[in-house]
Amino acid sequence: MATVQVSEAEKVYILHGIRDDLRVDGRGCEDYRHTEIETDVVSNTDGSAKVTLGHTAVLVGIKADLGKPKPMLPKEGYLEFFVDCSANATPEFEGRGGEELGTELSNTLYKVFNNKHSVDLKSLCISPGEHCWVLYVDVLLLQCDGNLYDAISIAIKAALFSTKIPKVHISADEEGAKEIELSDDPYDCMRLNVENVPCIVTLCKVGHRHVVDATLQEKACSVASLIISVTQKGTVTCMRKVGGGSLDPESIFEMTEAGKRVGKALHAPLMDLLQQEERLGTKRQKVGFLG
Amino acid sequence: MAGLELLSDQGYRIDGRKATELRKVQARMGVFAQADGSAYLEQGNTKALAVVYGPHEMRGSRSRTLHDRAVINCQYSMATFSTAERKRRPHGDRKSTEMSLHLKQTFEAAVMTQLYPRSQIDIYVKILQSDGGNYSVCVNAATLAVIDAGIPMRDYVCACTVGFVDETPLADLCYAEEGGGVSSLALALLPRGGQIALLQMDARLHQDHLETLMEAAMTACKGVSKVLDEVVRQHLQEVSVLTGE
Amino acid sequence: MLKSKTFVKKTRSGGVMKVVREHYLRDDIWCGSEVCSECKQESTVLQRDACMESNLCSYPHYLLPDTNVVLHQIDVLEDPVIRNVIILQTVLQEVRHRSAPVYKRLKDIIHEKEKHFYTFTNEHHRETFIEREPGESANDRNDRAIRVAAKWYSQHLKASDSDRLKVVLLTNDRGNKEKAEEKALLVYKFEEYIKSLIANTELVDHLALSNDDKNEISSSKVLFPEHLPLSRIQTGIKSGSFLQGTFRASRDNYLEASVFVQGEEEDSTEVLIQGLQNLNRAVHQDVVAVQLLPRNEWVAPSSVVLQDEGKAKDDNAEEEEEEKALRVSAAEAARKPTGKVVGIIKRNWRPFCGMLNLSQIKESTRHLFTPADRRVPRIRIETRQAASLAAQRIMVAIDGWPKHSRYPNGHFVRSLGSAGDKDTEQEVLLLEHDVPHQAFSQAVLSFLPKMPWAITPEDMAKRQDLRHLTVCSVDPPGCTDIDDALHCRELDNGNLEVGVHIADVSHFIRPGNALDKEAASRGTTVYLCGKRIDMVPELLSSNLCSLRSNVERLAFSCIWEMNHEAEILKTRFTKSVINSKASLTYAEAQMRIDDTSKNDDITKSLRGLNKLAKILKRQRIEKGALTLSSLEVRFHMDSETHDPIDLQTKELMETNSMVEEFMLLANISVAQKTFDEFSECALLRKHPAPPPSNYDILLKAGKSKHVEIHTDSAKALADSLDVATVDGFPYFNTLLRILATRCMMQAVYFCSGMDNDFHHYGLASPIYTHFTSPIRRYADIIVHRLLAVAIGADSTYPDLMDKHKQSALCNNLNYRHKMSQYAQRASVAFHTQLFFKSRGILNEDGFVLFVRKNAIIVLIPKFGLEGTVFFDSKDKAKANPNLVFDEEGPTLAVEQHTFHIFDKVKVTISLDDSNIQHQKIRMALIDPVIPGVSVPAPDVEPQAKKPKLDR
Repeated sequence: MATVQVSEAEKVYILHGIRDDLRVDGRGCEDYRHTEIETDVVSNTDGSAKVTLGHTAVLVGIKADLGKPKPMLPKEGYLEFFVDCSANATPEFEGRGGEELGTELSNTLYKVFNNKHSVDLKSLCISPGEHCWVLYVDVLLLQCDGNLYDAISIAIKAALFSTKIPKVHISADEEGAKEIELSDDPYDCMRLNVENVPCIVTLCKVGHRHVVDATLQEKACSVASLIISVTQKGTVTCMRKVGGGSLDPESIFEMTEAGKRVGKALHAPLMDLLQQEERLGTKRQKVGFLG
Repeated sequence: MAGLELLSDQGYRIDGRKATELRKVQARMGVFAQADGSAYLEQGNTKALAVVYGPHEMRGSRSRTLHDRAVINCQYSMATFSTAERKRRPHGDRKSTEMSLHLKQTFEAAVMTQLYPRSQIDIYVKILQSDGGNYSVCVNAATLAVIDAGIPMRDYVCACTVGFVDETPLADLCYAEEGGGVSSLALALLPRGGQIALLQMDARLHQDHLETLMEAAMTACKGVSKVLDEVVRQHLQEVSVLTGE
Repeated sequence: MLKSKTFVKKTRSGGVMKVVREHYLRDDIWCGSEVCSECKQESTVLQRDACMESNLCSYPHYLLPDTNVVLHQIDVLEDPVIRNVIILQTVLQEVRHRSAPVYKRLKDIIHEKEKHFYTFTNEHHRETFIEREPGESANDRNDRAIRVAAKWYSQHLKASDSDRLKVVLLTNDRGNKEKAEEKALLVYKFEEYIKSLIANTELVDHLALSNDDKNEISSSKVLFPEHLPLSRIQTGIKSGSFLQGTFRASRDNYLEASVFVQGEEEDSTEVLIQGLQNLNRAVHQDVVAVQLLPRNEWVAPSSVVLQDEGKAKDDNAEEEEEEKALRVSAAEAARKPTGKVVGIIKRNWRPFCGMLNLSQIKESTRHLFTPADRRVPRIRIETRQAASLAAQRIMVAIDGWPKHSRYPNGHFVRSLGSAGDKDTEQEVLLLEHDVPHQAFSQAVLSFLPKMPWAITPEDMAKRQDLRHLTVCSVDPPGCTDIDDALHCRELDNGNLEVGVHIADVSHFIRPGNALDKEAASRGTTVYLCGKRIDMVPELLSSNLCSLRSNVERLAFSCIWEMNHEAEILKTRFTKSVINSKASLTYAEAQMRIDDTSKNDDITKSLRGLNKLAKILKRQRIEKGALTLSSLEVRFHMDSETHDPIDLQTKELMETNSMVEEFMLLANISVAQKTFDEFSECALLRKHPAPPPSNYDILLKAGKSKHVEIHTDSAKALADSLDVATVDGFPYFNTLLRILATRCMMQAVYFCSGMDNDFHHYGLASPIYTHFTSPIRRYADIIVHRLLAVAIGADSTYPDLMDKHKQSALCNNLNYRHKMSQYAQRASVAFHTQLFFKSRGILNEDGFVLFVRKNAIIVLIPKFGLEGTVFFDSKDKAKANPNLVFDEEGPTLAVEQHTFHIFDKVKVTISLDDSNIQHQKIRMALIDPVIPGVSVPAPDVEPQAKKPKLDR
């Protein structure tokens, strides 16, 4: 992961700030940085979103393809995740340098999103045991400035929201062989229900307190962090401790409570924003990277 | 099924352009704060991000160090969702490696590397959406990123692909045209001196046509250079306004 | 302005792919009208006074047809009366997608200046582009796009002109029409408009029947099963429950057809289809989907001849009986896979030649049309000029075949002239054999060199000057397209230099232009009796490319240095300039060689060539080349009426073989050179060895006269043919050779990269191509281009090096070649008929060539004519003679007499013109006399009663 060098004096300054609920950039401990979200930025995907969180920039593209349901879950489609830590983010990722981080991130994403409680996987099933939609969720890391999990999860939720899957028609002949035909009407498509899609909140233990949305500098002062995925109702669906240091059970409990609170509060404005954007319809001026 | 008609009798291409017209080129410099230089450029539906780090000390193996000039290090990659059919991996395949090498050669010809001996300049380009002319779009985006990084170049490097259909050269091919059995040529040009930084042609073309095709490519490249120049000037103006000069 | 177009499609691997394409909108697309003052156009297409006098539109107007009008009514649109038409890009694209032939015709019309057809690129125009709306089908969107464009035009024109000029939308779609009317557009149904045209009533006949009309015609009774939709067919084919194949109707039985299913590699099958219901409205050459019937319903192909006589078969009783007759119990073994047509994948309808059967009801405007090709069903058409068309050969196009109609519906396209007329019949013959024979279009002619033409210094610079050589050409009399010329001279070192000079056609025909495309499509010049259908325009074929004497001509030369034993010491190829010293006929050349008193350069050259040719021929025959025989007929034409006055088999002279030897040599040398240079894309010609079973008939024929024929190799065959003689039967050897020819396979062009068997069986050459007749064969042009590239005399182009494209070209050339041979044969047959018509009845000697189950096939050497003598009669009143067929012999015993192959017989020949569409030469047996079978020798008097043995 991209790292920054922080001197001892800086560390002390940061620690003291956090203790007083005043972070280096002026935020409180449970505040996010300035966040920008735009959906539908890559036109040849079925759904996409670009999210910037401070200097962290993430682009998510979703492509739907036909596949066969997993034998254990014949009535569900599934999601595939791939995180590309590109060299654009930092030269350290050049060649195979980003692979380790990419795998770590994508494994977490599988756990958080690829289950029927988070995403309505049943709606992705076309014919049980034979055909289903597979959503390839590809995450592209463009710039790292800490708090990747949160940025990625927001981007994924936004991208899933904007995903349009073409409607299909199944025709079967006498022998029962099924043939899938795609609807030729570009407006005839299926949307996903993203109500239960969780967002990830990362809490960094800095000194005795914890902060959300840590910058790289703050991260450098932290021993360990906890990632929690929270749905809009405030249900925790997944929790994970990451980082080298150790946490005591009390602070985990404390951090979970904080995470739930922050996470729950995160969903409403996000959905608001997405729906607002949706309402603009085709008149929306796309900004992408040009803005 | 009948293939696509690449050039109609009325002289329009599949997307409605005339033979010599470029796609709409839009670009922005300084997209990212962390990198030394960055730029985003789209040419029609082909969109690329370029990021420059450096010049900085040699990273990794020191044996690659050059004592009289800087090493240009390029990596070309494509987002897995950039193509119509999803790609398995963003880079590391043969095509990307080849493309990286081409970019390296192109910029070795353009960047004044002798100013930075024993150092390294990283140019990373990512295709976000691919609709033909990937190489050219990468070169154009990288040029802006290098300028953004403040690294001196001999001139803008402008690239464009051209194809040859019905005895007519078509400028700036889109994907449908590239796939339509057109013999295409990619050219990177230093427009002021008219020097060619890279020339690549994979299909069969008769020698007699090469000249017309090259000429069309050079005209197209010069068209691109005009757009790039405008982008750079606009960017500088914005920056100077911001810095209050 | 930028819009993007998005669509989803399935990939080959079964995945889904989203494709996004840019779509630019422009504001520099002009309207193309003369009256417009707004548009900054350089040239205009649509006229100011667009006058087509119509009862509906009394003002000048432009027509704007929708897609279906163009697709179905192209025959009317082609008419010179229809001018000033706006073809929208939307329409053009849809047509291109749906019918390639109509698209080509439409493009041809657009190119014709006098037609004033303008293509408006509406999909890229800022004001006429529309986006598909939710819930709108692709077709509805296109219809709306057409309406929007029509609206735009009418407003646009109004702005520049006073209210005079208008745009008329033509559509047959009711919904579309209503919507257009709501938008206050001028809109008419196509029929409505055409019928309103003043003084152009005959156009009405060209109208294709539209859906509405069809309903009136036919009874509501459903006669045929519904065709399955394409999607069902595709799934069926994928799952293997249906088979896809080409429908081939039977020539002899209208209730029977077979579907040829192309399998993997050589594993192809044929499915038999019997009965109207099972045929289910498929027409010859359609690509159809068939479903196999259960094994117990399989049948054997019937050998019955059934023609659809159908006066007005409303009673199906008779038909059912006929169908029943088909199902005569067949031996289990003879049964074949049988199926039924479930759907049509692609119609392959073309306009058909034929004649009209007038309806019995005098006032009726609906008549049945009988195509000349028996494999095509009769077509119902509507015309007002039936009476005048009755005795004419006409062309009719099929419009559709509704499921409740016994016959397909069609419309009259044009008249070819009165039946039996020589020109008409020739036209029919060309059309039916798909020989492109229209006059060359302006686009094609525009690529001809400008006259007066002369060789320029630039031409000379790249060429070797061979004008000083004593070159001469030897051809059949009356030949104006001289492809080849020869020379032979002694060199200082005592060796001989022999040159074959071939017209440099590829110098004039540049790759990819209209002239080249036309030539490639025609493939070959077609020689009919008394007529030649050129592959390239006459200026080239008979003038600039023809190596006539005493003019300077460009040539492609193949020059060998040989010793006196005809061994090639050196071969070189060069583009050259020659000046032929003499154009000789075979006879003239022969005379010069034989005339010992002549000793000029030309004669010496000819003698040298002749000497070498003999050696070459000997060597070739030693290697196992076959000398086969087929009787070629030559008509002596009356110079004024062009009627045949005499008929004679072609005579071969030594000089024929002399020219042939050098042509073969040049072809082989060039084949080798081009293959060495381009191993992947050389265009070669191969002649596969026939499978051994092909020789059965030849072996049996030999055995019947106690002569052993060996067929293990070409050499063995050639040798055994050489010694096969029977005392007192001098014609035996020729007959054997004729039979041997029939055993052979067809020689074909192919691309060297697509095949690995190059052998030419007949010529016993490991490699062969065609180089020597570029004026009349397109293959030679390609070979010229390849050779020119090989020697650095010309440049290549991508298609030349593309083995797939070349292979496709070869397929066309092989097809055209085959069709031209058929057309040639048909032409000979027609002239033979004309000849016998003028001669009345003739009695001639002939030989039995084949013995069949119920007939013998007799060859008349004098005329090179073959005919069938039938022994069974379909006349039920007359008892059939007792026939015993022995397949081993093969022999056929008719009553007491037994016929063997090569038996000498005497027959009477006459013309049977009882069916004007299918005139035939009839033969009847005179000698040997078989009571009840043979006929008494009629006097050679024209009016003798015609024997009708096989009626």
